[in-house]
Amino acid sequence: MGIGDQYRDTGWFGILFVIVIVAFILFNILRAKGGKELFIRRIPGLNSIDEAVGRATELGKPVLMVPGMSDPINAKAMQAINIFSHVARIAARFANPILYCCSSASVYTVSQEVIRDVYQQEGLADRYDLDSVRFISDRQFAFAAGVAGILLREQIASCFFMGEFYAESLIFAETANRVGAIQVASSTELTQTPFFIAACDYVLIGDEFYAASAYLTRQPVLVGSLVGQDWCKLALVVFVALGAIFNSVAMQGTTTQEWSKGKLKQIPKRSIQQGDTLLSRLLNPDPDPDIKVNRSKRRPDELPQPVKDSGGGRA
Amino acid sequence: MLHLLLDLDPPTFFNGDNGSPALILKIVLAFLVGIGLIFALMAAPLRLRRFIVVAVTFLSGLYYFLLWFFPAPISRGPTDAPNGPLESFSFLIADAVPSVVNVSNILSAVLIGLGIYSLLRIHLGRIVKQQKDWAFSLVLVVSLFTVAFFGYWDWIIRQGPTGGSLGAVPNDKWSFPLYAKDFFFEGFLQQMDSAMFSLIAFYILSAAYRAFRARSVEATILLLSALIVILASMGLIQSNWDNTIDATHIGFLKNIRLEDMRTWLNGTMQAASIRGLDFGVGVGLLAMALRLWLSLEPLGRES
Amino acid sequence: MSDTVAPKSFGDKLQSLPRTWLFLILLLAASVPLFVPIALPNAPSQSSEDFFANVMSLKAGDKVLVASDWTKSTRGESGGECEALLRMLIRKKIKIAMYSSGDPQAPQVFRDTIGEIAKDELDHGEAPYQQFQDYVVCGYFPNAEGTALGINNNLRGVFAGKKDSPPNGSPQDIFNSPVFQGVNSVSDFKYLIMITASNTERVTFERVKKTPLMFMVTGVMTPEDNVYYLSGQLKGLIGGVKGVFDLEQMMEKGLNVPGGVSAPRFGPVPGFPGKHNVGRGTSYYFALHACLALLILAIFAGNLGVWLSRRGARS
Repeated sequence: MGIGDQYRDTGWFGILFVIVIVAFILFNILRAKGGKELFIRRIPGLNSIDEAVGRATELGKPVLMVPGMSDPINAKAMQAINIFSHVARIAARFANPILYCCSSASVYTVSQEVIRDVYQQEGLADRYDLDSVRFISDRQFAFAAGVAGILLREQIASCFFMGEFYAESLIFAETANRVGAIQVASSTELTQTPFFIAACDYVLIGDEFYAASAYLTRQPVLVGSLVGQDWCKLALVVFVALGAIFNSVAMQGTTTQEWSKGKLKQIPKRSIQQGDTLLSRLLNPDPDPDIKVNRSKRRPDELPQPVKDSGGGRA
Repeated sequence: MLHLLLDLDPPTFFNGDNGSPALILKIVLAFLVGIGLIFALMAAPLRLRRFIVVAVTFLSGLYYFLLWFFPAPISRGPTDAPNGPLESFSFLIADAVPSVVNVSNILSAVLIGLGIYSLLRIHLGRIVKQQKDWAFSLVLVVSLFTVAFFGYWDWIIRQGPTGGSLGAVPNDKWSFPLYAKDFFFEGFLQQMDSAMFSLIAFYILSAAYRAFRARSVEATILLLSALIVILASMGLIQSNWDNTIDATHIGFLKNIRLEDMRTWLNGTMQAASIRGLDFGVGVGLLAMALRLWLSLEPLGRES
Repeated sequence: MSDTVAPKSFGDKLQSLPRTWLFLILLLAASVPLFVPIALPNAPSQSSEDFFANVMSLKAGDKVLVASDWTKSTRGESGGECEALLRMLIRKKIKIAMYSSGDPQAPQVFRDTIGEIAKDELDHGEAPYQQFQDYVVCGYFPNAEGTALGINNNLRGVFAGKKDSPPNGSPQDIFNSPVFQGVNSVSDFKYLIMITASNTERVTFERVKKTPLMFMVTGVMTPEDNVYYLSGQLKGLIGGVKGVFDLEQMMEKGLNVPGGVSAPRFGPVPGFPGKHNVGRGTSYYFALHACLALLILAIFAGNLGVWLSRRGARS
């Protein structure tokens, strides 16, 4: 049994492809860190951040930020926190109050730290209100009700909804619309993006959300990473285009062999189907379930036993 | 299956029988040691603290990296022992999944405590100072404790010797705490959740009414596609329209069967654009995760 | 500055219909049809047909892992899906192991639902379907990503220590249940069927590879999951109220049998004619029609308003 067999469940192609795109991203980060000037295009939705905070300052009302429903914290929430640290920085400079509502305790903990840091970096620690970053509820609709209540009671002037949003997206956006707030939004959940587009002033679509922090801060690491992402997308486009052409050509022919469960079988001549093509086999490993590996067996006392009852339990 | 520290079985120094006093004592001790470690970390010099944070982040990420990239054990039976060091390591990684999941579950549980602390600090403060809208805060705090209390009481009864016979729906074996929990869970929480969710229907209507205006060519195309998809979801209209077209036996008209137009829009236009967006989002997420794992992310810092 | 405001033209009025009236009409459109039982024609979608045919191909005693991540907030859609699925599984005497990684309330909601459906089926002449003997509720797992990964790699490790109650007994280790006899890996379950209203479907889809997946999702989520159905990675998909109605219709009439739903892709798949097949799908389908019709009317009114205003401005 060779080492290649060990990848029969996942297939080696997916793993190789991930390694290549990871290399693209890391290479560009290194390039940018080395002082190479990299260009990134303008994102209109992000220009509106200053405008939105400015409007709240004019009206003397708070800016509301909601970093989505990620629970526990994940990379999407971290990106939202990143963008909000920029929003909080502008608000701190304008001495504008902020409200920051979290639906997850882990997002709340990290956000609390990051926002406090932002105020300290600006030398405005005295302006930071400990209650401005809040945990509302980790229940989806309790959270929606809580945030909608805050929007109505505080008559928020500017809202930022960024991160993982689900059904509550429209509740937030329409309530904010009702109080006349300017809204900048982005959902990593594509099914919710249309709702934001229908109800918000500015929407970041798809991966613009991940480009936002690079665009706002121009940090070399982030700009490099963004350019690396573009290389990856280019690679994907090339791969999709080649795949379409390759499969279209391959499927014109006929075959007398068929791969099934990792084995090649002789079959009567028939036209080639999608599952016969090389690309399909690369992307959909169909391992042989009959492969057996000779291994020694563990003794019964080495194996887990059913959990003993001693009063308590988990059900 | 390998034995790891956090496995429930066999009981080692690091665990104990389910619900036993020894296990509870160990949980309390572990909690105290954890808090001690947090204080020690806070007292450590900045450079050391940063090193520890970076190292822990890297090691945590490394586990999932290895789980994905390291060759997985194949055709493994439940009692198999590993062949050689390479397989020992791959067995270890595979077996550690439940333990790693437990660690993150425990972390989530501890963090919930911090969240509740934030809630109580804000709302108890508001009640004590009788600030604006303090009555809402009172409702929140009372609800929090009432539901937790009856939820736990119900759970304890259900874990008892008669737990299995109590049934999910109200019956004559139910006692007061079961009714109380059902009243709060089914009667209140679930109904309020439903009410919030149903609000979306109203908001969809008002948002669609405002947004779907044929002000430009693009907006008109969007409007027409939406109309086709909505009409095709209405069986009454879709079947009458399609049957009428089928009855004409004119081949060309088959192109405007509602079901076929919807399938084409969903399968060709929508699926392709969702895939395109998904690729972009996936790559963005990968880059973000990579920066976090390698501590390259300048979180909250500018310039 | 003059205080007099020019009276709104009819076109302008159509563009700004009062929200309260729209909401009131929607309330009537959504609720009145619930009291008017009308049998509406419907053509089941291909994904629903696949789902139905796959469930009906299961044999008595087969095991299915059900991930139930819905709560009563989405009962209009997920509730109907869960009830229809349970009726099919109970009638076919399939054993169910249920878990949730989406919502801590979900196991309780599932327990209530299966309790009610099992009792109803018993009253309608089906064999008793009992907790622990025929189905186990493995509980809630907070970390959806880790849980899905664990289920794929080491199912027994993830479910270790969980308990469920047999009828008239105290809670026992779930591995003592007949449902888990002979189950060592997730591949010992014929399908993983997920009823969800949250993103757990994609979390699971990305990680669980060792058993075929079928999803039951809400209407809003359908377009995104349809992508995976179209690529063949999902073996069946039920989306929203229409999906439930598709299922109920096929349960009553069968697939590709005389008088049933025509689907030449399949052989004859008889349903359960004459049994209690009418559920939420049938009840809500007319209401769905009324709401969609109102949506079309509202959009039409808004666009008529735009057109009239433009014509007025030109003249």
